[in-house]
Amino acid sequence: MKPLNRFEYPDELKPDFEKAKRLEWITVFYLISTSILVYLTMGNSQAMKTAWFEDLLSLTPAVSFLIATRIFMKAPNKEFPYGYHRVVSIAYLCSSVALFSVGGFLLIDSAITLIKQEHATIGTIVIFGHQIWLGYLMIGTLLWSAFPSMILGHKKMPLAQKLNEKNLYTDAQMNKADWMTAVAGIFGVVGIGLGWWWADAVAALIIAGDILHDGFTNLKQAVFDLMDQVPKTVDNQKTDPLIDKIKETFAQHTWIKDFNIRLREEGHIYLGEGFVIPNREENLTRLIEELTKKVVDLDWRLQEFTIMPVKELPEGEKA
Amino acid sequence: MKYHPRLLILFLGIGGACDNYPKDPETTLEKITNSTLVVGYSANPPWVVPTDSIPTGLEPDLVRDFAKSRNAKIEWKNDTEQNLFEDLEQHKVHLVIAGLTDDSPWKDKVALTRSYVKEGKKKHVLATIQGENAFIVALEEFLHAQEKQMKAPAQP
Repeated sequence: MKPLNRFEYPDELKPDFEKAKRLEWITVFYLISTSILVYLTMGNSQAMKTAWFEDLLSLTPAVSFLIATRIFMKAPNKEFPYGYHRVVSIAYLCSSVALFSVGGFLLIDSAITLIKQEHATIGTIVIFGHQIWLGYLMIGTLLWSAFPSMILGHKKMPLAQKLNEKNLYTDAQMNKADWMTAVAGIFGVVGIGLGWWWADAVAALIIAGDILHDGFTNLKQAVFDLMDQVPKTVDNQKTDPLIDKIKETFAQHTWIKDFNIRLREEGHIYLGEGFVIPNREENLTRLIEELTKKVVDLDWRLQEFTIMPVKELPEGEKA
Repeated sequence: MKYHPRLLILFLGIGGACDNYPKDPETTLEKITNSTLVVGYSANPPWVVPTDSIPTGLEPDLVRDFAKSRNAKIEWKNDTEQNLFEDLEQHKVHLVIAGLTDDSPWKDKVALTRSYVKEGKKKHVLATIQGENAFIVALEEFLHAQEKQMKAPAQP
């Protein structure tokens, strides 16, 4: 069996990859710090309990990214002839499930609060002999879980696009979910202080819709990727324009009478096949090898491309 | 979705500007001040000792002092813990005393105050209406002021 070549990011992307890893480590420690803070200030407030649960869930993309980076670069071997790339797609699935759950959890939790008309109780706490309203501490904690998240998410987005890392992209959206919930939480706590018991739940409900939407889009894409859907772009799930570039490359060759290609995503990389009807027989092996090299050189994401000469293309699969 | 940071500052500003912050959704603190505090009690000596007319013990004394600080009269209501907690949920009483501790199974249905005294590992608390934050803050401030001279009573 011929295993795939060993994969590494191209040299120009290596610094970005290192940066992404560093950002994810920062995210893990930062999220642990917020969850400890939230745990300490939550009192018996249901809203803060939700925030805490969410903080723990939102660790998933960062942790799954860091685990995946330790695996996907392993050289292919007899047992895994296609290499370990698909671990990235699996991590992406885990992250999108987490994002979707955060949205769903938030929606259900705030709906229950509103239906049961649960009035959130926020009492006081004594710190160094001073008695203060726990709400002020909660606002402080929520600010800490808003601003760094905002910055982290903002930094991850462009890296995710460069590295073709959908998991990283989901994590950036998770950071967005985090800061939006934190801001909603601040409105909620301030609102509760003004005597509006429903403020917290209403703010959370509005945010939940947005998070659910992001979660669902990514969950759907993660499942489709594992089902070998045509490669889609990281940010807006459109069919990758690279496919058209490959077709153009094929079309430039006069020895090809007709052709068709198919492509699938394995984590960061694409694998594919091309079927060609040649109009001559001589030098065919050389021509095919030249074309293969040209196609693979189009983009670093094209890891392996196999070209197969055929007499006729399958029905309904004309390019 | 975008939040305007200035709006948030304004919002926080409104909060900070009021001196009666946090507020009660149902204005419990306002209602009892210079008026009547309805207290449910259930026997649990030495914390709450029922007598023929009004209860005595550590917790009734505390409540009397609190009521005095708000210039309120007390309307006592004696019942079982179960009934009193149901009354509390329906806002028929403002406060329940029964030698409760912070691990009471009712803690999700009512609001328990910060503990005002510890007896070994047991943290003693009072129970109030959920979400009436101004009232709870006032009560906890009062309890905090008493905490220093507070000692768990000897068991009978």
